[in-house]
Amino acid sequence: MRPEIKEYNFDSLLWHVLDIGHKVLDSTEKEIFWIGDYVPYYDRVIDVWAREGKVGRMFLEMVWKYMDNIKTAHDRGKKLAITTFCFSPAIFYAMDVVPVSLEPLTVISTLVWDRGTVDYLDFCCEVGFTETACSAQRGALGAYLAGLGEEIDFVVCDTPGVCDTNALAYAFAAAYLKKPFFQLNAPPTLVDERSSTYHREDFKALVAFMEGQTGKKLDVDRLRHILLEHEKQDELIGELEEMQRLIPNPVPSIYNLIIYSGRYFFSGRPEYTRILEEMVKSAKINADAGVSGLRSGKEKIRALFCYIDHFVVDFKFWDWLDQHGISQCGSLLKGFFLPQSPYIKEGFREAGYSIRTDSEEAMLDSIAQINARMPMINSIRGPYYKPYMWLDATLQVARVMQSDCIIYSGTPGCRNTWGMVRPYMKDIEKHGYPAHIMNADAFDFRVESWEVTTERLEEFLKVRGLM
Amino acid sequence: MEAIREAVDHIYNRPVREWKENGGKVVATLCTFVPSEIFMAAGIHPLRFRGVEAADLDIADAYYGPFICSCPKALLQMICEGKYAFLDGAIITPGCDSMRRLDDCWQKAGEDYQGIVPPFFFHFGVPHKAVSYSIDWFTDEIRRLINALEAHFGVPITDEKLQAAIRVYNHGRNLLQRIQDFRTDEDVKISGTDAFAIAIAGTALPREALNRTLESLIGELKQKEGSLAEGRKRIMVIGSVCDDTSLIELIENAGAVVVADNLCFGARPIGGMVSDTGDPVRALAEWYLEESVCPRMFGNFERRLAILKDRIRQCRVDGVIMQNIRFCDMHGSENGLFARSLAEINVPCLQVELEYGPLVDGGRVKMRVDAFLERIS
Repeated sequence: MRPEIKEYNFDSLLWHVLDIGHKVLDSTEKEIFWIGDYVPYYDRVIDVWAREGKVGRMFLEMVWKYMDNIKTAHDRGKKLAITTFCFSPAIFYAMDVVPVSLEPLTVISTLVWDRGTVDYLDFCCEVGFTETACSAQRGALGAYLAGLGEEIDFVVCDTPGVCDTNALAYAFAAAYLKKPFFQLNAPPTLVDERSSTYHREDFKALVAFMEGQTGKKLDVDRLRHILLEHEKQDELIGELEEMQRLIPNPVPSIYNLIIYSGRYFFSGRPEYTRILEEMVKSAKINADAGVSGLRSGKEKIRALFCYIDHFVVDFKFWDWLDQHGISQCGSLLKGFFLPQSPYIKEGFREAGYSIRTDSEEAMLDSIAQINARMPMINSIRGPYYKPYMWLDATLQVARVMQSDCIIYSGTPGCRNTWGMVRPYMKDIEKHGYPAHIMNADAFDFRVESWEVTTERLEEFLKVRGLM
Repeated sequence: MEAIREAVDHIYNRPVREWKENGGKVVATLCTFVPSEIFMAAGIHPLRFRGVEAADLDIADAYYGPFICSCPKALLQMICEGKYAFLDGAIITPGCDSMRRLDDCWQKAGEDYQGIVPPFFFHFGVPHKAVSYSIDWFTDEIRRLINALEAHFGVPITDEKLQAAIRVYNHGRNLLQRIQDFRTDEDVKISGTDAFAIAIAGTALPREALNRTLESLIGELKQKEGSLAEGRKRIMVIGSVCDDTSLIELIENAGAVVVADNLCFGARPIGGMVSDTGDPVRALAEWYLEESVCPRMFGNFERRLAILKDRIRQCRVDGVIMQNIRFCDMHGSENGLFARSLAEINVPCLQVELEYGPLVDGGRVKMRVDAFLERIS
């Protein structure tokens, strides 16, 4: 790792950047314009969020708050746990533990820093983690392995049986940093009694593990409060998803990023509820006016990203969508799981979940059910008796959202998707959707340059008569 | 060793062919977590999938993406070429994501290549940890497999038959362990190449026939004088799935003797005995889950490191060669952790990344092995 990078703590640095970011957005338009000259590597980020008005400011503040929680956890007598995005953080908040979710931190760092996370990505490889492993974890993990972050107290993940490279990153972190490790497993089926029993036992063991680490008992009332807040958030997400179905889609494409990152950062916390409420309000204004959420107000193409978004530097991806009149109808990183949503009602009844708060066991069951619907588990991996679950889920979302095309964006480290993306995309074409596979790495701009990525995307859209 | 060699080089080898010609059924499994005893109790020959006869990956590349390990690709290639057409069944296990995706790619390829999906196709779940409730779950999963086999093949699998099969397999484990001992002793009586070939044959040949071959081999080895380790460095090989004896041969031809391994086709699954009393299904669940030292059992690094260090000490190992197939992150990353820990106790290590199959990059690997042996001489 470059010596100058070692001079700064990763989480402190990110904290400062986000602190400045959200405070700058309190300024007047003129002030923001002139500030851009003084932060040449950051002005595009500020510009993107300034355009989103109150929501933009709230987003940067929400992420800053997440970093602030990490930075101040030990001073406040709380424990820090490294964990994965594919895990609802509600249980951590209920246990008064501060989660450090690696993938969202990689995403945010990649988006706001001109250099992305390349130094941290490479540091993982320097200490023995394979370069072919998923970059989503490596981006932030490298910083913690290098000792450039708050000291982690323990490691928890729920991806064994879902995504090996994801689970591996956490097992590696625990072994390398010599920290206690707990893994939740995901059985091959999602909703049968055997899986539910397994999940319940697994969660009880997790609670016991965290009680041992923190010296605190699970606060059942707090858990109930968090789950009720979670339910409220689900309903707001459902409202946004309903609006996304309108033609034109009144929801700005970048709201997708806010929906899922908020879910990973602050499920069950009021910080996330507030921003969702504001997003609903703002999208409703567009919906009432019958305009698209795109800056131009005109929607030309409705695109579904069937895996993840592309996170390379400066939020360029959403800018590009905006400039080309492409309305993003979501990715599989977000919800669709309310029982009343068309995705569930007209398709996958078993993919929905409901939150029950009548007993501790019911609440743990609910969290297990939420986790089993996290993006990589429900759709990408799917239950083993439904080998084409990813395809089925994608087609259902595409139908519900009236998408014009389906685009795969991912990372070469993803064995689960690259393990079958070719036959999957062929099948998507057979169902009448133009399909495109992006070869880039969503978290590492060195794998394929942004220029090449957009050239290929534009070629696809032109050749298929979409643009 | 002739029968052993044939079993190593050919999937549809003579004993398997004869088994089929006599009306026997053959079911292939993906990894070491599927209890072979169940199949023996059902009168079915369990065979472990191997991609050893894949000469190309062109078909597999049309289904799997480019960033996938060459092992499942080699399997899919052989499947599509019809080299597994003799199978009556296949068991898919989530050994790793790429292996698990063989299911999707195989079924999709089945739409293009007629008759490649066997009539019995079963997903066998395996938890990633061995605790009381995961063993409960795994016990149920084994029962689910037993029920499916009984229903499909019309054979009852009783507790008595399972216990008898456990005894045969335990005897085989004992014999395989004795072969390993001839390799790890101070006076090495069998080359690493031959010992590895025997272990591979253990996954390919009907167990009773294998046991008879092993008994006779043990008799021969007992008579052997001298030591193959004379003047040679004692090497241990660990890492990704490997059923390629030419890798071990290359190391031994370079002037070393491979006295130990921790490979899933090698010595890794040999140790320990399944309890042959009580509920046989529970006994199988406990053994297959608790004994596994595969890195897919996340969070067990310290245990695996302790086992590795023990083996290094017991086998008087001079150096460890850690191989991993490209894109096999589980072994590749664990090798990185091992290298760091072994450096602390001054055990020299070589990390090599390669492709699955009969040494497609032999020249490069040989150069690195030569340099490593020179370094530790």
